[in-house]
Amino acid sequence: MEETPEAPEVDEARQAVIDKLTEELGEAVVGSHIRPGDDVWVRVTAESWRTAGLVVRDHLSFRAFEYLSAIDWLPNPYGKNEDAPTDPRPEPNTDIVTGYAGGDTRFQVIARVQSYTSKLGLNLKVDLPDDDLSLATWLPVYAGVNWHEREVHEMFGITFTGHPYLQNLYLPGEFEGHPLRKDFPLLARFVKPWPGIVDVEPMPASDDEAEAETEEAAE
Amino acid sequence: MGLVESGKLPKPLTSLLNTSRKYSLWIFQWGLACCAIEMGAALGAPRYDVMRLGVIPLPASPRQADLVCISGTVTDKMVPAIRRLYDQMPDPKYVISMGSCANCGGPYWDSYSVTKGIDQVIPVDVYVPGCPPRPEALLEGIVLLQERIGKEDMATRWKGDPIVVS
Amino acid sequence: MTALTERQQLAYANAQAADGRVNLEFETDEGMTLNMGPQHPATHGTLRIVVKLDGEEVISCEPVMGYMHRGYEKLTEVRTYPQVTTLINRIDWLGSFANEVPFILAAEKLMDIEAPPRAQWIRTVLFELSRIANISLFVGDMALHIGAISAAFYAFRDREYVLNQIEAATGGRFHPNFDRIGGLKDDLPKGWIADTKASMEKIRDFCDEMETLVEGNEIFQARTRGIGVIPADVALAYGMTGANLRASGVDWDLRRDQPVGLAWNECDWNVVTHPDGDSFARFWVRLQEIRESTKIVDQLLDGLPAGPIMAKVPRIIKVPEGEAWVATENPLGEMGYYVVSKGDLGPFRVKIRTASFNNVAVIPWVTRGVYVPDVVTILASLYFILGDIDR
Repeated sequence: MEETPEAPEVDEARQAVIDKLTEELGEAVVGSHIRPGDDVWVRVTAESWRTAGLVVRDHLSFRAFEYLSAIDWLPNPYGKNEDAPTDPRPEPNTDIVTGYAGGDTRFQVIARVQSYTSKLGLNLKVDLPDDDLSLATWLPVYAGVNWHEREVHEMFGITFTGHPYLQNLYLPGEFEGHPLRKDFPLLARFVKPWPGIVDVEPMPASDDEAEAETEEAAE
Repeated sequence: MGLVESGKLPKPLTSLLNTSRKYSLWIFQWGLACCAIEMGAALGAPRYDVMRLGVIPLPASPRQADLVCISGTVTDKMVPAIRRLYDQMPDPKYVISMGSCANCGGPYWDSYSVTKGIDQVIPVDVYVPGCPPRPEALLEGIVLLQERIGKEDMATRWKGDPIVVS
Repeated sequence: MTALTERQQLAYANAQAADGRVNLEFETDEGMTLNMGPQHPATHGTLRIVVKLDGEEVISCEPVMGYMHRGYEKLTEVRTYPQVTTLINRIDWLGSFANEVPFILAAEKLMDIEAPPRAQWIRTVLFELSRIANISLFVGDMALHIGAISAAFYAFRDREYVLNQIEAATGGRFHPNFDRIGGLKDDLPKGWIADTKASMEKIRDFCDEMETLVEGNEIFQARTRGIGVIPADVALAYGMTGANLRASGVDWDLRRDQPVGLAWNECDWNVVTHPDGDSFARFWVRLQEIRESTKIVDQLLDGLPAGPIMAKVPRIIKVPEGEAWVATENPLGEMGYYVVSKGDLGPFRVKIRTASFNNVAVIPWVTRGVYVPDVVTILASLYFILGDIDR
């Protein structure tokens, strides 16, 4: 539980959500974050994923399902390929830095559920270790998660145990690879040289003073 | 039709046949993405009425269509269907590629699932650029196509050779 | 002719069907498979529906998607924020201003910038105009799919008035690409407000026309009443949103219930619900929503505040690190963007939550046991845009 250092504002409704969840799940809640007045994130363990879903649906009355997706926290090793071919290639950054509610692994599954009675939403995150990219399916919890899990499976390669039909949703049958992983390159950017290399314009306000000026004025 | 095949069709008859063909194009009622809405506006809206050019947007089956307008993004998954539909159209058939997605991949030029241009799969007669092109732009494309048809050599078209129009 | 066994006859018919790609396959055991393929006059675009039939009744119905999958979420990772705005216009390609707004709001939330009030009001007006443009096409299109073709012509004609106004303000009939982080690109042209109010009058006339022409028609009623009933708890479990949800009786509209800073609470309008949950209810709710939108536009244009239309943003936009979720009530339903930013010029990951993806997920559930023409009615009433499903 974090409170923003500037404003000692406590979002009580959302804090109550985290407290109730911690009460029901105990040690399965391993991280959380609140942006006061805005949103709440909770990270749970992979083993408790199904239970967490049932708890939020039944005990916290988050009955509406928004989406289920995944985040690959590896920084893009390829870049945009918009530099001149003679420029030195920047060193790819391989640090994995995760976002709100923490995280230790490269892949995280994130799901969002909504409550129409309390008008709150909840983001649930779960870490997946690199060698075991599988998670229990949420089909018994929300029927609408069917296609979302299929999409995550084909885009990231994460298996959902118990899903009856984990086939490709969007991609043709012969497609190889998992496109939304950061190490899947967009080949067209490699094959075609970037047309903007020919006439390179400096970025607007590329001198530091103008930038510092505008930033100062914006504060 | 031995006259047509052997190329001995007299000029006035050729131009008569070409004129009648170009003013009675039946466009296949099919669109893929956003350009299809502009195509729908061109075909169905009273303002950009395409029927005044003689182009009737009635056929929902490719077997009865002369002209197909590929309007919208072409994905790799859709390409076999497009090829099949093109093959089902009877000759003489024409293709207008509408919008930048069908011309060259458009804003999705670097996507992993988009075909960068429908001319890799089917031969295109007229390219209409835009994202999306206004209905008037599509009408201009159709007019250009009609001019092209008016100058066609029927023998070449009958034999199925590639058409070279001066 | 020698006597052919039934097996041989079926094989012959199969071969003919496979060759001509007539969209049928005969199966000996489970009934007929009807493939409403990616090209079909009755699907809103390139959606393939594989229907297993027992006579005329549907046993199972499975949508196959991906024919319009353009890889948005991957593409946003290699683009800067203004470039992403250009791209995401094309997700829901009928109401396209509405696609930009949640993304811009998410970026503004992370940058801690608030657009000035005039920009927020104009954003709301354009949002509602794109809603009118989108749903008026739905009204004509649903009648078209049921068989009443002339309604589509009226819809296209009256939509042109709204598209004119959007074009006068933004330069593009659809895909306006007008929203910027911090405000809007330009201010409104002279005389726009009066013209837009006149076009709202015309849209209200269009609604009246559609009510008498389509809704009052007894054939339309016979084909839509009681067809495709979706109860409220099923709708919630599948994550359906928008008019589909309100037609099942759930009183939830993001414009009223989860305000994001745009100007909907500055004017007086109703949230329309219908208790039935059938196709007629979905049509009726959307038609009333057009009316409510015209009311919103009129009221907002009356009270438009003066002022700047762009907040002070740096020339090069770098959004600070963080994650943000913003969802708005788009014409199709709830569209949300989950933006993960690492402080770069472009986003790190954008998850696009589209309304049609969840709306279409209910099709296998709702089409059990209906007849073949009802499948078309249900598809038309659920109202999806392929770009919204496939992203």
